[in-house]
Amino acid sequence: MSEVGSRLERRPLAAAGIAAAAIILVVVCLFPFAWMALSSIKKLPELFTVPPHWLPNEPTLANYATVFFNSNIPRYFLNSCIISGGATLVALLLAVFAAYGFARFDFRGKAWLQTFVLVGQLLPTAAIIVPLFITLRWLHLINTYWGLILVYTIITLPLSVWMLTSYLRGIPVDLEEAATIDGASRLGVLFRITLPLATPGIVAVVVYSFVTCWNEFVFALVFAQDQSVKTLPIGLAEFSTEFNTDWGGVMAASMVMTVPVVLLFLAFQRLFVGGLTAGATKG
Amino acid sequence: MFILPAIAVLMLLIAYPIVYTLYLSAVDAHGNFTTKNYANVLRPYVTRQAFFNLIYYVGGSIVFQVLLGTLAAILLNQKFWGRGAVRSITLIPWVVPGIVAATTWAWMFHTEFGIINYMLAGAHVIAGPVGWLTDRNTVMPVLIAINVWKLFPFVTIMVLAGLQAIPADLYEASKIDGASFWQEVWHITLPQVRPVLVAVTLLLVIWGLNAITLIYAITQGGPANLSLITPIQIYQLAFTSFQFNEAAALSVLFFIVAAIIVAIYIKVIPSGTEAAR
Repeated sequence: MSEVGSRLERRPLAAAGIAAAAIILVVVCLFPFAWMALSSIKKLPELFTVPPHWLPNEPTLANYATVFFNSNIPRYFLNSCIISGGATLVALLLAVFAAYGFARFDFRGKAWLQTFVLVGQLLPTAAIIVPLFITLRWLHLINTYWGLILVYTIITLPLSVWMLTSYLRGIPVDLEEAATIDGASRLGVLFRITLPLATPGIVAVVVYSFVTCWNEFVFALVFAQDQSVKTLPIGLAEFSTEFNTDWGGVMAASMVMTVPVVLLFLAFQRLFVGGLTAGATKG
Repeated sequence: MFILPAIAVLMLLIAYPIVYTLYLSAVDAHGNFTTKNYANVLRPYVTRQAFFNLIYYVGGSIVFQVLLGTLAAILLNQKFWGRGAVRSITLIPWVVPGIVAATTWAWMFHTEFGIINYMLAGAHVIAGPVGWLTDRNTVMPVLIAINVWKLFPFVTIMVLAGLQAIPADLYEASKIDGASFWQEVWHITLPQVRPVLVAVTLLLVIWGLNAITLIYAITQGGPANLSLITPIQIYQLAFTSFQFNEAAALSVLFFIVAAIIVAIYIKVIPSGTEAAR
């Protein structure tokens, strides 16, 4: 009896504990983001005051004006869109065929090839950056959109194949067999029957690839040294030196760079998390 | 037939570069065979320092990423008002571009104008401004803390998915036996999500060994190489000093060590290999 009693008494305490923990979690996750937003609408003298102000005395959009009209950020934004979009498309196309092959056919060396694909995920970036640079230079692809698109494809391809394969395995073969009996070709089956059913998996892969490419820094630093192809992460790093670390500008540029991916991610969060975790929990 | 295009691209851009690195590391500038590159990168103290910094950085990060990530997942698996919103918000640090996280945290840790020094001084935790990113004692812990902030949400997503897959009757059985909440966590939850934790830790090890962005953008390995890690050393050898052959030699050594670490990890925790695949 006393045991049941203690359980009931603990309830409000437990609820309070959960609430407190949830609030701490939210604050920890959002605080840097909030501070970025607040700093981006402060004037320079106010950024450099001691002690710092929590809220800006005179909110200003001047930092955003600098970013949009007085820096290379708009151009880098366009470059980022083209490169991330291109790499996402290429990786998706390759991953669809590869995943379909892995999910539907048995052939010699399949396990070995699947391991090889995953090794791409295991490779240390730093270890392949030098040879990749030399390879791209030989192909005349340094400082081109295609160079970065190819490089980003190999970053995102392994996990894309992994996610799509486990997704395609979950789609019943019967439907495909019915279509084959009706006289559809393999490719016809893939594009008309299987892929429409795999839309959630495909969306997950697209979001993953796009966000990964959009955020990538090190390869862009090495393979895009010209303004015509530099991406946003490089632009942000550049911003610091170009304006002798104009923190207001840096924070405004950070906002411009972050908001699109956060929105994209939150919009497709459910599909993305489902696609990512499917492989890990189903084994 | 279907997988050929993907394999071909990976062959061109992964297998070929690996072979080429091996070749580069074993020749001098004129293409003659030599072992000097290896000797040159192994000799200086900085190589060892960068390696130990890397182990410290990856090890320290992973302990806290897994611990905090799992705790957050357990929290987000409870029923409470606004849970959906909190789940979404928890993902944000992971989605924010690495370079943005780096600059924002660098600004918050700014010695003179940073909000963190202001808050800590206000709470009387510190007496005066601390040079978090320039002090030899604080620079690595601070970088680890930022890295933990960036990646614990990934652990949370994966563990949460694992938690949701645990059959409810296991909990009901333990309720009947009168288990407390933390006993439940220890005896039911953790064993059930163990495969997920193993797979996630493996990914964190690999990503950690790869990580350049945060440290490069915040300290570039400074002050005085105290936060220099091997990947940054390779980058600097190749693209600041233009010692491509030495950089290739260090890449090969680094690749071998990374492969050994991953292999040991998979061997030591055999139940994890299934999930990792």
